[in-house]
Amino acid sequence: MKKEILQLLFRRIFTSIIILFLLISFLFFLLRISPGDPSLKFISPDLSPKLAAKIRDSFNLNSSLVDQYKAFLINLVRGNFGISYTYRMPVLSVIKDYLPFTLIFSSISFLIQILAGFFLALFSVKKINGVFDKTISKLSLIAYAIPSFVLGVSLILVFSSALNLFPSSGLSSFDFSSFSFFQRLSDYAFHLVLPLITLSLSGVAVYYKYLRENLEDVYNNTFVLNLRAHGFTEREITRKHVIPNAINPLISVAGVELGLLFGGALVTEVIFGLPGMGRLTVNAILSRDYPLVIGCTFISGVLVILSNLAADLIKVRVDKRLLKSTLN
Amino acid sequence: MTSKLKIWHLIIAICIALLLLNYGLVIKTYSLIIIYLQILLENYPRAISQLGFSLIDSFASAILVVIIPIFVYLLRKRVKIFYVSLNFTSAAIIILISFFIFAPFAASSNPNFQQNISETKLLPPFSSVEVIHLNKNEKPEQNLIGKFYNLKKEVVKNTFDESIILADSIVFSKVATIYQKGNQVILPKDTILLSYGKPVITKKLFLFGTDEYGRDIYSRLVYGARISLFVGLGSVTISLLLGLSLGFLAGYPGGFVDTIISRVTDMFLSFPAIFLVILILALFGNSLFTVIIVLGFSGWMSLFKIVRSEVVSLKQKDFFISAKMSGLSEYRLLTKEVLPLILAPVVVNLVFQYGSVILAEAALSFLGLGTGSSYPSWGAMIEAGQNYLTEAWWMILPPGLCLFVTLYAANNLGKEINLIFNPRLKG
Repeated sequence: MKKEILQLLFRRIFTSIIILFLLISFLFFLLRISPGDPSLKFISPDLSPKLAAKIRDSFNLNSSLVDQYKAFLINLVRGNFGISYTYRMPVLSVIKDYLPFTLIFSSISFLIQILAGFFLALFSVKKINGVFDKTISKLSLIAYAIPSFVLGVSLILVFSSALNLFPSSGLSSFDFSSFSFFQRLSDYAFHLVLPLITLSLSGVAVYYKYLRENLEDVYNNTFVLNLRAHGFTEREITRKHVIPNAINPLISVAGVELGLLFGGALVTEVIFGLPGMGRLTVNAILSRDYPLVIGCTFISGVLVILSNLAADLIKVRVDKRLLKSTLN
Repeated sequence: MTSKLKIWHLIIAICIALLLLNYGLVIKTYSLIIIYLQILLENYPRAISQLGFSLIDSFASAILVVIIPIFVYLLRKRVKIFYVSLNFTSAAIIILISFFIFAPFAASSNPNFQQNISETKLLPPFSSVEVIHLNKNEKPEQNLIGKFYNLKKEVVKNTFDESIILADSIVFSKVATIYQKGNQVILPKDTILLSYGKPVITKKLFLFGTDEYGRDIYSRLVYGARISLFVGLGSVTISLLLGLSLGFLAGYPGGFVDTIISRVTDMFLSFPAIFLVILILALFGNSLFTVIIVLGFSGWMSLFKIVRSEVVSLKQKDFFISAKMSGLSEYRLLTKEVLPLILAPVVVNLVFQYGSVILAEAALSFLGLGTGSSYPSWGAMIEAGQNYLTEAWWMILPPGLCLFVTLYAANNLGKEINLIFNPRLKG
């Protein structure tokens, strides 16, 4: 059994690496065949033609596509993604500045989404078609349909501009350096309230919808009736029998969602001016910072694959019958 | 719980309301059509050269605004869809589609109409300005072409109208004095248009206010519905074709081809699609058509998965094997044997896909990579409104609401279609 799992795991990782490799190669060629020359940004018209040619050579964009690809692959194997054009630092150290924020921010948002969706669904299933259930169901439909940027801008309009309750952008106040540790923590929290609402609301609606349907289905099963007839308490039935059965289809959805969140919450980051991977990627794309684009893509691809894998492993742990079908 | 009001009531009501509100414009458009037909008979190269998008647009909406209610009324008993009862979703969809078709009549001015910008910029909703009409010194034209040009100016809404001046207030005694935001202009009597010795002064109402360039937000919303529907339908069609053909191509022969296409799909799924879209748009330039094509190419994955898995399971069914044995071509197999069976999940997927495409288009416009500044897109309007957040909330709220209603309607429509195809889901 254990050997089988390891074998499947190995195969899965192998195919993931191939997919990542294909993705990056695709991006490499897409970037190289696109019109425009990133080196032009660094060449002033006053420079002598000799110096300009030297600068252009330093980007190594004049050699043939195959040679460039070879060099790219050799560097890639060594773990070297090159030097970012705009930041003038190795790509990985640029990403190192932005990644922790995205990881923490999206993990918090992910937890909020899952927990809020879960508890709301649990409460509304307690009394199907009751007042609570009906209002939350309607509200979740509305929450699902609000585009995140409309929500973000409206939140700023109401809470920052009109009521002046929360800051509208940035991650910390300008006198941040003089704060004590707890003040810093609360300052961060204060700045992240609106972004977290913006990022999480539609996700809460999605999880609520899935879980509510699943829980309702499971409650209608005959085994629940059987358990009730045997005198189990409602609490026990819900905790030990209903939730494990209802939660399984949600895990793979959650894995995909987490991966996408790790890729960066682009719109939220842009609205609230947060230093995350989404904004970094888009700025890299817009400024034609080729090494940084490939680095960001690689990192977010790895995160997507890892979170999918984690979701599948949890799924297998919950239900061992799914071993073969999920890990393939 | 079905309401007594049906869809056909709303369609006819909208058409009649548009006719009543714009009866002058509709009559002018019809006389323009008649003059145009006369020119077409006399001198058809000239007529063809005059034909532009806005002219065709006006003609089509003038004809449709009369024809559609008649047809709907006559066919209401035969066509089942007109008897769908009216609720929020169906009403929103009908209103959006009528914005799409009748934009020249539904909008009060050209979406890019700009005049006396200092006078009209950032006006709040329901505000209005006075309009004084200037004397154009035009003699009634005798020949057909001259008549055509004069009438065309009145029918087709332009981005600029030299025969009017917008003002806060106008005082008339011998000369007209115009007050514009602390600016005073005196117009002599012979420059303004007089009727019975008095100047012609009308009011121009800005229903949802104006933006930073003095453009009417309501008109921009109406034309924005066009962009959104156009982008949505265009890219959903592309996704449909790609998803169907690739899904069939992968599922039908299976084996090696299947593995390759599935792995490529996995590759696209492992990278957030929005970044790929941004990458391509940023590298190769963004315009209306590139946005449609790129969004279409970025949305075929979910459809591919549905089609592929259905085809794989259908392949072993007896009816499919017998159809194959009887020598049907692959195209026939796809359209006659596979398509009818997978229609339900595909249609539901397409409706949801449509919602996500509209959302993606708006998000792209919001990031400045959308359909370009020559088209009024809802996302671009919100993006512009962000800079005037504290002064002009009406630049953000109306387009935001429009987007929300469209997405809500699309989601609900998808759910309802799903219920029609799978009645067992009804709890």
